[in-house]
Amino acid sequence: MNAIAFTDVSKSYGNVLAVDGLDLAVEAGRTVALLGPNGAGKSTSINMLLGLLRPTHGRIEVLGTSPDEAVARGEVGAMMQSGELIPELTVRELVDFVRRLYPRPLGLDEILQMADLTGLVKRRAGKLSGGQAQRVRFALSIAGAPKLLVLDEPTAAMDVESRLRFWAGMRAYAAGGRTVLFATHYLEEADENSDRVVVVARGRVVADGTAAQIKAGAGGQTVRFTLDGQAAAGLDALPGVTAVEVEEGTATLRTADPDATVAALYRGTSLRVRDLRITGAALEDAFLALTQES
Amino acid sequence: MPGYIKIEALRMLRNKRYVIFVVAFPVAFYLLSVNLYGGGTDAAGASVVLMVSMSAYGALAASMMSTVVPWAQERQSGWLRQLQVTPLTNRTIIVTKLVTSLLLVLPSILLVCAAAVLAQGVWLTPARWAGLILVMWAGAVPFAALGLTVGSLLPPDAAQPVAMIGTFGLAILGGLWYPVDLMPSALKAVAHVMPSFHYTDMGQSIVAGHGVPPSDALTVGAWAVALGVVAVAAHRRATVRG
Repeated sequence: MNAIAFTDVSKSYGNVLAVDGLDLAVEAGRTVALLGPNGAGKSTSINMLLGLLRPTHGRIEVLGTSPDEAVARGEVGAMMQSGELIPELTVRELVDFVRRLYPRPLGLDEILQMADLTGLVKRRAGKLSGGQAQRVRFALSIAGAPKLLVLDEPTAAMDVESRLRFWAGMRAYAAGGRTVLFATHYLEEADENSDRVVVVARGRVVADGTAAQIKAGAGGQTVRFTLDGQAAAGLDALPGVTAVEVEEGTATLRTADPDATVAALYRGTSLRVRDLRITGAALEDAFLALTQES
Repeated sequence: MPGYIKIEALRMLRNKRYVIFVVAFPVAFYLLSVNLYGGGTDAAGASVVLMVSMSAYGALAASMMSTVVPWAQERQSGWLRQLQVTPLTNRTIIVTKLVTSLLLVLPSILLVCAAAVLAQGVWLTPARWAGLILVMWAGAVPFAALGLTVGSLLPPDAAQPVAMIGTFGLAILGGLWYPVDLMPSALKAVAHVMPSFHYTDMGQSIVAGHGVPPSDALTVGAWAVALGVVAVAAHRRATVRG
C-alpha cells in the first residue's frame, strides 16, 4: 500500500500557482526526501498532506484514506517548519501531553531517548535553546508512534552536531518500518538520510530516484584528462557523455556513466590519455541543473 | 481532554501576570477598599458588597486573561498547528479553552471570599455561600466567550490592549469598582445593559438574601448565548483550512 499518494494536485493562491499538477506516490516503509529550493512548493505540499490546506485541484490519499481522517486516527505525526512551544510547560509535560492524545503512543522514555532529551525533562520550554526546542518538536512529532512521519525542514535552526544527532534519531524512528517524508533544501541531508529523493521546482516533480540516480541523470559526473592539443572531435559521441569542454589543454566530459565513458576512451579512441580524473559530482550540481532547466 | 485541561491550567498558574493581576490584585484591592469604606459585615456593609464586586472583578479578569492573549499567541506561534496535526479536533480545542478558563475563574472568587472571611469576619449562611460561588462561577461564561472571540479575531499585539480595555471597561461600566448609582444618567443606561453589571447584581442579591433576580439571570444568559455563538463563529473563521 502507498503511504502517500498525490494525484495531479494543484494549489493556487489567487494567481500564484504554488503546486502545479504534483503526482507523487510513496510506498509504506520508505524514507523520502522532498528536495527543492525555497518557494518550490514543498511546504504547501506538506500542509496539504497534513490536511491543513485544501488542494485547489486533485486528490491526496494518506495511508489509504483522506489526510483529515489519517490525522484523526493518530496515524500521522508532523514537525512543522516553525512553531513555538508553551513556554510555561516542561519538556516532560509537553511530550507526555501530546503522547496521550494518540491511541497507541510510544513510551515516554523511548521518545525522550530518540529525541535526545533525557537530560532536559524538567526544563521549561521557555528556557530551551533553539536546537533544544527543535528536538522537543521532533519528540512531539513521533510521540504518537505515527505510521507516517512528516518533517518540514527539520534541521533549519540546528548546529552541525545537533543535526547529526537529529538524523540518527530520525533513522532510529524510521527503522521500525515507518514511512518518513522530509523536506529540505540541504542537498547532503537528502543524500545521506533518504532512500529516495524527489526533487521539486516550481510546484512540480523534476526528478525522482535515489541520490545516485539523480546525480547520474543530470549528467552530474565528470571525466577529466589532459588533451594537449590532440583533436577533441568524437569525444561527445562516447557512451554516456552529455557535454564536452576543452580548456587550456584539458578535456572535461560530463557523463551519466563514467565507467562506460572511460572504457570507450581507452578502447575506442587512439588518444593519448594522461592525468585521468573522475569526479563524482556533488548532488548540488545535479540539483542546480534540474531546478534551473525546468 | 482531561490531560489538555490540566496543561492549560498549569501554564496559566505558572504565568506571573495571571497570578499578579487575577489572583493577587483583587484580594489586595479588596483589603484596601474595605479599609477606605470602613467595613461593616451585615448584608449591605462594605465588607460584603466589596467581596462580591471584587470577586466579580477577579472572575472577569481571569476569564479574559486566560483566553485572549494565550489564544491569539497560539494561533500565531504555530502551537495551534501542532495540535491540529494530532487527533485533537477543533471542537475539543475550543471546549477545553472554555472549560479551563472557567476553572481559572475559581481561585479569584475563592481567594477574595477567603480574605473577606479571614480579614473582615464576613459570614454568610451555607446556602448563600454556595449560591454566591456558583453564580459568580457560571456567570463568567459571557466573559470567557468574549475573550475567545477577541483572541480568535486579533493578533497577539493587538489582542493584549483590547483585553485590558475590555476588562477595565466591563469592570467600570458594571459598577465593579464604583457604584453605578454614582454615574451620570447616560452612563448609567449603558451600565444597565452590561453583562458585568447584571453578573455582579446577581451576587449582591444573593448575599442580601433575595436570591437571583430573573432579569439579571436572563440578561447574563442572553449575553452568554450571544457571545458564545460569536465565539464559535470567530473560532471557525480563525481555524478554517484554506
